[in-house]
Amino acid sequence: MSLRTFILGLSASFGVAWLAIIVIPFFMMRDIAPIALSLSKDGAAGVFFPKRTGRIADGASVYAANGCYLCHSQVIRPTYAGHDLYRPDWGGLKNDAERGDTRRETNAYDFGGETFAQLGVMRIGPDLSNLGRRVEALHAAGKDPAAWLYAHLFNPRDNPQLWQSTCPPHRFLFDRREIKGRPSADALRIDAGADHEWVPTADAKALVSYLLSLKKDHKPPAALDFSPHKPKEAP
Amino acid sequence: MSSTQSSSTDQDALLQAAIDRSLRYPVMFFLTSGAAWLALALLLGVIASAKVHNPEFLGNWACLTYGRVFPAHINALVYGWGMQAAFAVILWLMARHSGRKCPDAVMILTAGHVWNLGVALGSAGILAGNGTGMPWMEFPSYIWPVLLGSYCVIVMGSFNQFRIHPQGRVAIPQWYIFAALIWFPWIFSTANLLLHCLPGHPVMAAGINAWYKSALVFLVFTPVALGAAYDLAAQVTGRPVSSDALAKLGFWSLAVIAPWAGMQKLAGAPVPYFLPYVGAAAAALLFIPICAAAINTVRMMWPCRKTFIAHPTLQFITAGITSLMVIAVTSVVLYLPDSTLPLTQFSWSGYGFDILALYGFFSLVMFGATYFIVPRVAGRAWLSNKLVQVHFLFSVYGMITICWVALFGGFQQGMSQENWQLPWIGVSAVTNPYAVAITFAWCLMLFSNVFFCLHLILMWRSPDRLRAHHAPGEPAPAIPDHTAEHIY
Repeated sequence: MSLRTFILGLSASFGVAWLAIIVIPFFMMRDIAPIALSLSKDGAAGVFFPKRTGRIADGASVYAANGCYLCHSQVIRPTYAGHDLYRPDWGGLKNDAERGDTRRETNAYDFGGETFAQLGVMRIGPDLSNLGRRVEALHAAGKDPAAWLYAHLFNPRDNPQLWQSTCPPHRFLFDRREIKGRPSADALRIDAGADHEWVPTADAKALVSYLLSLKKDHKPPAALDFSPHKPKEAP
Repeated sequence: MSSTQSSSTDQDALLQAAIDRSLRYPVMFFLTSGAAWLALALLLGVIASAKVHNPEFLGNWACLTYGRVFPAHINALVYGWGMQAAFAVILWLMARHSGRKCPDAVMILTAGHVWNLGVALGSAGILAGNGTGMPWMEFPSYIWPVLLGSYCVIVMGSFNQFRIHPQGRVAIPQWYIFAALIWFPWIFSTANLLLHCLPGHPVMAAGINAWYKSALVFLVFTPVALGAAYDLAAQVTGRPVSSDALAKLGFWSLAVIAPWAGMQKLAGAPVPYFLPYVGAAAAALLFIPICAAAINTVRMMWPCRKTFIAHPTLQFITAGITSLMVIAVTSVVLYLPDSTLPLTQFSWSGYGFDILALYGFFSLVMFGATYFIVPRVAGRAWLSNKLVQVHFLFSVYGMITICWVALFGGFQQGMSQENWQLPWIGVSAVTNPYAVAITFAWCLMLFSNVFFCLHLILMWRSPDRLRAHHAPGEPAPAIPDHTAEHIY
């Protein structure tokens, strides 16, 4: 076999796969078309656009730099690929006060504002696809959800319900500083010593804002709705 | 007739010794700095693993939080140790096979320093909180051009040796090494360009990252280790490759199948449906190239099985090939969509598989190569046979513990995860005993690899015991194989 044939063989065997599973899907998904809503099926017009508010790009980079993705996933798999949807608070909320069962699988439109979907490496901690929803409706119902997350980041085991948690403490995301005048509104309710308080840093604020934006249970358009409760189409 | 033969054998031996001498500094540099990175990577691995079961351990240090230490551990292992060990083996193997001396040691050494600087800056960047959050690509985004540039300079000479001086028939180790030389920059630049420079869909970006990890293992580390295994098995045993047809099947099936694997990690994620299924099918089909190569190399070494004790090279390569067979079986068993894939997708099994490939297979073969190559390029025998044996035993037992625990613990963890009626806090608790076992095993491996690194550093030390007696100006005598004590 000549050197040229050998190199050609290497390039062809690799190049076909490279084109088929990397280059072509990359450019096709880059321009993924928005899904138009229809008045008859979805009860709304326009396109499907799951809104997110918060410091998403900033917070996602803090999430990435501190390795949250190593223990937490952000993908709710359809039932053929796993049992994520059966958990009562992962894919949405089982009993939302206004919308009922909002659980659904993750779709391609859920990662708006991010450059890299943190699908996750391992699940030592729970899935975070709907963490924002979960904190607001369950963990900190009627209280400040950001304060719950700050306290959780400071020391996850302070919460008696989570005494077994193996989530690392993130005390480096908080500054201990002297109280001058009135205490800070964001200060943690944790003893920081006389005349001192723990306040979240800019990174902690960005991260918490990002975590609260994790609400991937918007009602999907009929074309993406695989729920058994989906209203049946008229014949 | 016989005198002509013996003089040509002498000339061959002299040429080989001259080639080895020309490679002394580059090869020793890559192996020693690689071993230092390995020891550091394992130290970070111990810290990371201890944090899984004891989260308050070093809990006040921002740079040592689990989410930074773990990526630093894996990236130091992959780029600090893995790639540098691969460079040493590539340089030595390609020079030996082409019968040419090292082309430009100064340039290679300079580029090697730049590579090390890149890895050091990248690891420091991760620990300082500038990681990118893309598994195995966590170095800050300004590092990859540095690594790619220095890679090109380091291997350019080897590439040209293959291109310009193919001596007679191209040997099997050369196929593997040359293929890895071409595939690495292709894989590395594709992943980095698409993830860092071209904004694409975030889920596809995660898919490309999963493919990159798999491609790095099966199209860079695997071919380099298989090339080394074929070559060293032939050199130590003096036997030819047992089946050329099987070797060709093994090589070309790897080239055709491995580039499709990797995206099984995205099963259930919103990417085109065929991608995870193609990935799972390719991962299972990897059984073919792996088995072909494993059977071929084991058949070369089998007749010499009684001398294994005297040859650490053979011991390490056999242990590495055994791990490779385990990889073949696990890649069939772990990634079955609808049955095992949901259990292993987000469990310790993935980590077990990575460590099995990076340490159990690749590193063990590289250790075998190191024990063969270093006495030849450094011109002196290994200082202590006991250290070599300790390195072997600790590495193998540590690796077996990690892989056994991670793979099977991962299955149990996956089953608890899928049991949706079990509260999540109970699922997390399932992993704790396994994490303790993994920490213990990393400690064993750290211990043995610190001594491996020290042993390599001591090998830099002259005087050259074997060459001390020749007069200055005369060519140094060739080092005879298998005669001196501790030269394997």
